[in-house]
Amino acid sequence: MRRRIRRRYAAERRFRLLGLGAILLSAAFLAFLLVTMVSNGLGGFRQTEIRVDIDFAANTLSAASAGGEIEAAVAAAAEAQYGPGGARALSDTAWLRVERAIEDDPSILARKKALWLPAASAIDGAAKGDGDGEAEALVTRLEQDDAIRTGFNTDFLTGADATDPAAVGIWGAFKGSLLTMLVTLAIAFPVGVLSAVYLEEYAPRNRWTDMIEVSINNLAAVPSIIFGLLGLAVFLNTFHLPRSAPLVGGLTLALMTMPVIVIAGRNAIKSVPPSIRDAALGIGASKVQVVFHHVLPLALPGILTGTIIGMARALGETAPLLMIGMRAFIATPPDGITSPASVLPVQIFLWSDEVSRGFVEKTSAAIIVLLAFLLAMNGLAIFLRNKFERRW
Amino acid sequence: MSSLALFLLVVALAALGWLMARARATAFRRGGSAPRAHSLPSYHGWYVALWTAVPALIFIAVWTPLSANLVMDEVMSAPAAASLPPFEMQRVAILREAREIAEGIRPGGFHPESNALAPAYADALSRTRTMGAVVALLLAFAGGAFAFTRVSPHFRARTRVERLVMAALLGASTIAILTTLGIIASLLFESARFFSLVDPLEFLFGTHWSPQIAIRADQAGASGGFGAIPLFWGTIFIGAIIAMLVAIPLGLMSAIYLTQYARPAVRRWMKPLLEMLAGVPTVVYGYFAALTVAPAVRDFGKAIGIASATSESALAAGLVMGIMIIPFVSSMADDSINAVPQAMRDGSLAMGATTSETIRRVIVPAALPGVVGGVLLAVSRAIGETMIVVMAAGLAANLTANPFASVTTVTTQIVQLLTGDQEFDSAKTLAAFALGLVLFVVTLLLNIVALRVVKKYREAYE
Repeated sequence: MRRRIRRRYAAERRFRLLGLGAILLSAAFLAFLLVTMVSNGLGGFRQTEIRVDIDFAANTLSAASAGGEIEAAVAAAAEAQYGPGGARALSDTAWLRVERAIEDDPSILARKKALWLPAASAIDGAAKGDGDGEAEALVTRLEQDDAIRTGFNTDFLTGADATDPAAVGIWGAFKGSLLTMLVTLAIAFPVGVLSAVYLEEYAPRNRWTDMIEVSINNLAAVPSIIFGLLGLAVFLNTFHLPRSAPLVGGLTLALMTMPVIVIAGRNAIKSVPPSIRDAALGIGASKVQVVFHHVLPLALPGILTGTIIGMARALGETAPLLMIGMRAFIATPPDGITSPASVLPVQIFLWSDEVSRGFVEKTSAAIIVLLAFLLAMNGLAIFLRNKFERRW
Repeated sequence: MSSLALFLLVVALAALGWLMARARATAFRRGGSAPRAHSLPSYHGWYVALWTAVPALIFIAVWTPLSANLVMDEVMSAPAAASLPPFEMQRVAILREAREIAEGIRPGGFHPESNALAPAYADALSRTRTMGAVVALLLAFAGGAFAFTRVSPHFRARTRVERLVMAALLGASTIAILTTLGIIASLLFESARFFSLVDPLEFLFGTHWSPQIAIRADQAGASGGFGAIPLFWGTIFIGAIIAMLVAIPLGLMSAIYLTQYARPAVRRWMKPLLEMLAGVPTVVYGYFAALTVAPAVRDFGKAIGIASATSESALAAGLVMGIMIIPFVSSMADDSINAVPQAMRDGSLAMGATTSETIRRVIVPAALPGVVGGVLLAVSRAIGETMIVVMAAGLAANLTANPFASVTTVTTQIVQLLTGDQEFDSAKTLAAFALGLVLFVVTLLLNIVALRVVKKYREAYE
């Protein structure tokens, strides 16, 4: 008997440990994922630069020189200073920085000037401890000359997509995401809130209302890629809106986000106690005044929380945007909602497809940026909920 | 005048109308001689503002796309357009350049033709824009003036404004239905075109998937293979089998621990932490699967003697997808375990059962319908998931049960068929819509069944 009890207690402990193990394993996956991304991606925020002494007086550059000439002059200077292969140690876009330096201060054209130029991807990797023998030898030599340094990568935060991993930036995709989210918010928020108000406050119980409810609940469960197919068939092929524009992406994501906002909005409106409505009606407010002056302001924190969560989901969404052509190589940030753009998650997808090793850290760095934003949005939602949520 | 400026001007006019009408309505009130007004002054203001803005904005919304076509017609009839090259792509590029020159965005064009077209373009643009602006402003003034004349103490402005508000509410809620109809219509329409090219039975039951369309008619495999069974199997294998083998035990045990054993403080911290797993974007999971998990799985496969282990395997995609699904399973299980009446638990404990025996023999069986419903929802979510499988599962349509081999899924193939530049009418692109239709129907059915199960079960205890 006692042995049996002991066995049952052992089983109890095992079961309990199993449960704890399941939780810890799930949490460990999350931690592993985040640690992998952070350890891979931190390097992407740093950039290796090489000092090149360019003797502007000796070459024929002028303020009006074309890009090709500057590029050739920079390559020649690098070869002269670091021997053959010196030009390849610089990033393909290093001459852009020289051009900018000339623009900033044309007087350097008359003298010799040491400029810090971004290093090529292979050198960048070697300087961060992940390169092949040849690149590492060059890095060691440069270090002896004190001609290499690693600093914060401002180009990554201000640039757009490029073919050279050392020159890529996140700003283009980020701006695309921002514009797309603006379109999504401008459509999904009013439509979602108004539908929630209608369904919760005014809708008569009939077949039409039932149909609306069923379709909203179904839309919330439809796979996101189906919305991409809808966007492709309707917005692109029927209305001929511009391909890969934030306008179309925003419209598609708005249709996807709207059900989330409707459901959150209905719950928030439902939680406003009927006594508020009765009191307002009792002192002579009309039905519209009751809702817009009393119910909606009280439900607003809940609606906003739901909206932010829905927008965070839309910000991380990739598949529907691939369907509407947002996977093109776009090297300049978009100017408006109708010009071609990329968005952060699609940019991550595109970079992850690149074979060049330098893209691994850039992809992870872009993921860190995306996750930081999602975390901030969700944190804001939790803050709003804790601060303004009222229990009646 | 650009559409945006016109829009802002109309809105400004509406605001002006609002102020004027409100001032006039306030004057009635102050006058004292007039009878008591029906509506508050601000409602008169809204009435005028809406009459000013709504017709004009509707006109702008219709005119903007219409005018683009008008401009295009006019440009194409200009003499300079005769020298345009016949190729569609070049024409589009030149026309875009001409527009940018006409609008002053760029100083000169790369193509000589666009420089020649620019004056005609600028001419047509300014003409249609002036026309649109004049009509929109006329509409705004006419609407505003009409509404302003009706402002009087007896006028029931509030009723009118509220009627429009109700119409807007109803309109907003029909958008959900329109979206559903749009999805169904576009999927059905394109699928019907696909099935006029490919036999539906071959699509649903064929086992050969190779959607390449031959360039020449006499090439081998000219018709392509559209048997989707390998895709359906790959989807089920990854989403419903491997992912669930990970997600069900972990999700269920997490829910049991959190609801039955954990202290409230632990629960308060661990539950949001688990839910973070659902908030990570799928593209991040996909990258994680491709970068870290897939090579590890391949090396593991090689180590246990499976020579065919590749870096794109069903196991890698399924494992990562399972991790993503954990919070879905655990939160549904959490809800249904919490819904089991306390009396049942107390009864079992009072009979001398240990906590784990109570959980295994009483709580889980009682909560089972809810858990099953949650698992069905999770499956529907997993098979519709795209980015993880696109990045980690591969493209080879294999019909295999070997988890180390590469399989492909419905969503991967949709992405594959529709990205890249091709004719939109080919069987290849239409096949994506047929796959989408299958996916839509299956996820819909799974959701309906899951919700039924959960609902029925809730009623049992209420």
